[in-house]
Amino acid sequence: MTASWVAWCDGLRRVRRAPAILAGVWLLTVLVSVPLALGLRGMLEQHLGSSLAADSAAAGVNDDWWQEFSDQASGLGVTFRPTIIGFSAVLDNLSAFVDNDHRPIVIVGAATAYVVLWIFFAGGIIDRVARDRPTRAPGFFAASGVFAFRFLRLAAIMWAVYALLFAYVHPWLFGDLYGRLTHDTTVERTAFLTRAALYVLFGLIVAACNLIFDYAKVLAVVEDRRSMIGAIRAAVAFVQRNAGAAIALYAINLLLFVVVLAVYAMIAPGAGTGGLSVWTGLAVGQLYILGRLWVKLTFWASETALFQARLAHAGYVATPVATWPDSPAADAIR
Amino acid sequence: MRLICAAAAILSASLASAQTPADGALKPPLSPRNANYSIDARLDAASRTIAGSEVIAWRNITQRTATDLQFHLYWNAWRNTRSTWLREATLGTGRNLPNPRDDDWARIDVTSIKLLASGGSAPADLTALQHAIAPDDGNADDATVMAVPLPRPIAPGGGVNVEVKWTAHVPRTFARTGAIGNFFFIAQWFPKLGVLQDDGWNCHQFHAGTEFFSDYGVYDVSLTVPQGWTVGATGVQRDRRDSADHTTTHRYYQEDVHDFVWTTSPDYVERTARFEHKTLPPVEMRLLLQPEHLDQAERHFEATRTALRYYGEWYGAYPYGHITIIDPAFQSGAGGMEYPTLFTAGTRWWIAPHVTTPEGVTVHEAGHQFWYGIVGNNEFEDAWMDEGFNTFSTARAISQVYDPNYFSPRFFGGFVPWVIPDVVIRRETDGNGLRSYRAVAKSDPQATPSYRYYPATGGGITYSKTGLWLNTMERWLGWPTLQRVMSAHFARWKFKHPKPQDFFTVANETTGRDLGWYFDQVYRSSNVFDYGVQELRSAPENGRFRTSVVVRRYGEATFPVDVLVKFANGERATEHWDGSDRWKLYTYDRASAAVSAEVDPNQVLLLDVNRTNNSRTLAPKGGEAATKWAMKWMVWLQDALLTYGALV
Repeated sequence: MTASWVAWCDGLRRVRRAPAILAGVWLLTVLVSVPLALGLRGMLEQHLGSSLAADSAAAGVNDDWWQEFSDQASGLGVTFRPTIIGFSAVLDNLSAFVDNDHRPIVIVGAATAYVVLWIFFAGGIIDRVARDRPTRAPGFFAASGVFAFRFLRLAAIMWAVYALLFAYVHPWLFGDLYGRLTHDTTVERTAFLTRAALYVLFGLIVAACNLIFDYAKVLAVVEDRRSMIGAIRAAVAFVQRNAGAAIALYAINLLLFVVVLAVYAMIAPGAGTGGLSVWTGLAVGQLYILGRLWVKLTFWASETALFQARLAHAGYVATPVATWPDSPAADAIR
Repeated sequence: MRLICAAAAILSASLASAQTPADGALKPPLSPRNANYSIDARLDAASRTIAGSEVIAWRNITQRTATDLQFHLYWNAWRNTRSTWLREATLGTGRNLPNPRDDDWARIDVTSIKLLASGGSAPADLTALQHAIAPDDGNADDATVMAVPLPRPIAPGGGVNVEVKWTAHVPRTFARTGAIGNFFFIAQWFPKLGVLQDDGWNCHQFHAGTEFFSDYGVYDVSLTVPQGWTVGATGVQRDRRDSADHTTTHRYYQEDVHDFVWTTSPDYVERTARFEHKTLPPVEMRLLLQPEHLDQAERHFEATRTALRYYGEWYGAYPYGHITIIDPAFQSGAGGMEYPTLFTAGTRWWIAPHVTTPEGVTVHEAGHQFWYGIVGNNEFEDAWMDEGFNTFSTARAISQVYDPNYFSPRFFGGFVPWVIPDVVIRRETDGNGLRSYRAVAKSDPQATPSYRYYPATGGGITYSKTGLWLNTMERWLGWPTLQRVMSAHFARWKFKHPKPQDFFTVANETTGRDLGWYFDQVYRSSNVFDYGVQELRSAPENGRFRTSVVVRRYGEATFPVDVLVKFANGERATEHWDGSDRWKLYTYDRASAAVSAEVDPNQVLLLDVNRTNNSRTLAPKGGEAATKWAMKWMVWLQDALLTYGALV
């Protein structure tokens, strides 16, 4: 526990010392979401037109209009539901995630693009927190570039594993098994507890995979591994050797995630009344998003710290920052 | 004066108490009582079978001679996948049972049917003459209606006593009937006569989208169940005998009802309470509750009181003196259904404040005691006459007591509720089900017999369209007028079988107006109402402002609507448009420019399927609203991205 706590504190410190990374991933999140938000805005504006319904929609919630819009919506529009308001947005997404609900193709596309961008930048981020000193933009992007294709290979494996989990294991757990376990259950509380237990079970499986893949990334960067299968095997070995510390650290980070959600549950803005409240609501929402990103970075940074703390030598062992020769030098190589 | 009022209240309360029937008997008879059932049934819970016998004393109250008898055998709807019920269920969305196990199916087999000797006529065994008929669709595989030719016709005013014996297998719940675990809910379970009318037997096959129709009578029913199990049933328990074979026989009795339902389970927890009112008769309430819902007992009672009070005040008194509320077991599928003097509610283990679970369904099903129980329309053909009337009444009653209540989605497999207080549930739209109606508005004219509605969309026409057109009448004619119409209809048709025209006649008589044009549109047509402002212009002209407003009828249906034009200096102009033309131009020469124009500003016409186009403003805020909501949605999207991004 002490090692986990120390690694977690170290991870927090490393993230704090890399504010540009946090700002960068937030910007990344905004850049992916803004075009879609603008698309939705266009749909809403077109539907509202010059109707007086817009006045009440601007000043609060016009549920009648909302229902009319939803009834004719397609694409992005179908996701514009009252569950986007306040903390229910978080529950909506978490619930859809753990229940494996299908999202519209445009959301799946955006999520895929977002994940690909994370894969691209993951090398740079882990490199930065592993070095625990500024790498500046060239170093960051160079590391990102170096690891991008390795992580794409890793992502292919991750995709296969998660696809197996969500396409086969989840339906089996929550369709077949849950159905069998509760077929004659007449007490809702029992069914809920059964489902909750299955959530925990499925969550543990996903978390275990996530843990291995996290350390595979960390090992790939810190040890400059080229084989992603090798990185996964090494990550499994590392987690086996340091099971207590690795799991405890994951749990602490998970707890941090829950704390961020709990805080947002208390301050999440409602529909608002227009004017300043709109911008206040947006600001609170973005603070929450920053909090989520901070938690994600803390996961990686603390796992990196734990791994480095367990190395035979304390320092960072990855290759030096990649520097590329200028064009004439490249010519000279020939 | 106050003293006189108090004395009058005390007098009426004591009169009400005196009228309370405590044993299921009602004097004088409230109904024709022409179909009386004396039933003995034994449940074998282990094998999920029922062995029953009944004696039906039936009297022909029509002008037509009966040459045969027709019985409903509803449970044969779930005998196999070829029944009309299951064929229709597959036309809808998700109502067919996925992979039923062998034990999940139902059946009901008549093993004996005999005419008993009466009035000098000899007994006759008709067992061999029974045969299935399919009067609605000719489906040879449907066995939900049994016909038996009579050896001698029964003339108008004549009668017959029939003894029927049968065995039945209790299904895993279909259409709110069946068993799960130790929970048994036994409805539509005995061979039951159709309704003989002047044009013949009205005995429809069982359909996926419709309910039931029967004559009123007296039910005297003995139910034998495992000892220690609680029983709830239509009527009042008059007797209870334990037997040596570890069973108990419960005898229930009720007069002037048109159906009998029962339930049994060892898990029920019983609670009782009483409804009292200064002018309405008291009602003893019995609640059979699931143990996990013990803390919700008072909410069930309060919701039942709400229905008994408001329906009683608005339409007429509940005469039976007792009512049984059943809280069905989880995933029994038995919730939200009405039966005479008993109804199933339905709640969740985890409920939220300011959300009408369990109140919504409780008020609705308790309300069916009035629309279905007391006024016994034909649910096969005119389901809107009880479901629609009751949807309207439920929304109205809920709004009297439970407002505000809020939108509450459920997450994580539907177990976890979350209240969104920004989204207030409105009686006019949410309560009446505007959204359900809008989605299916043109699917069927309401005048189509209900059993012929497209199964997947029938609910929107039956429940929501009626709720909306009644609420439109309330907003148009005023509640006092509509209340007079509905209470007059209730008084005229209680314990009878009204047809749609009967309601329309009462409406015309009570209002003193010919409302036929309205009923032609909402009942006989599937046309939709859609009015809108097509154009609003306001331009300076000679130091003043010339304003023109074009309002348009986009839908085929017509209704008189107001048009409200607002001007920048606070002036208002209200026009009354008969709404019959396709469009209408209004022009104004005023000192200031127009701000907005709106058709039906008071939202009288609740059937308007598109309200967003009802108004137009010269200072639109569409962009502002769109920006606000797009930003909120963006946070949801970012959270979604991060949720899936957690896997990276």
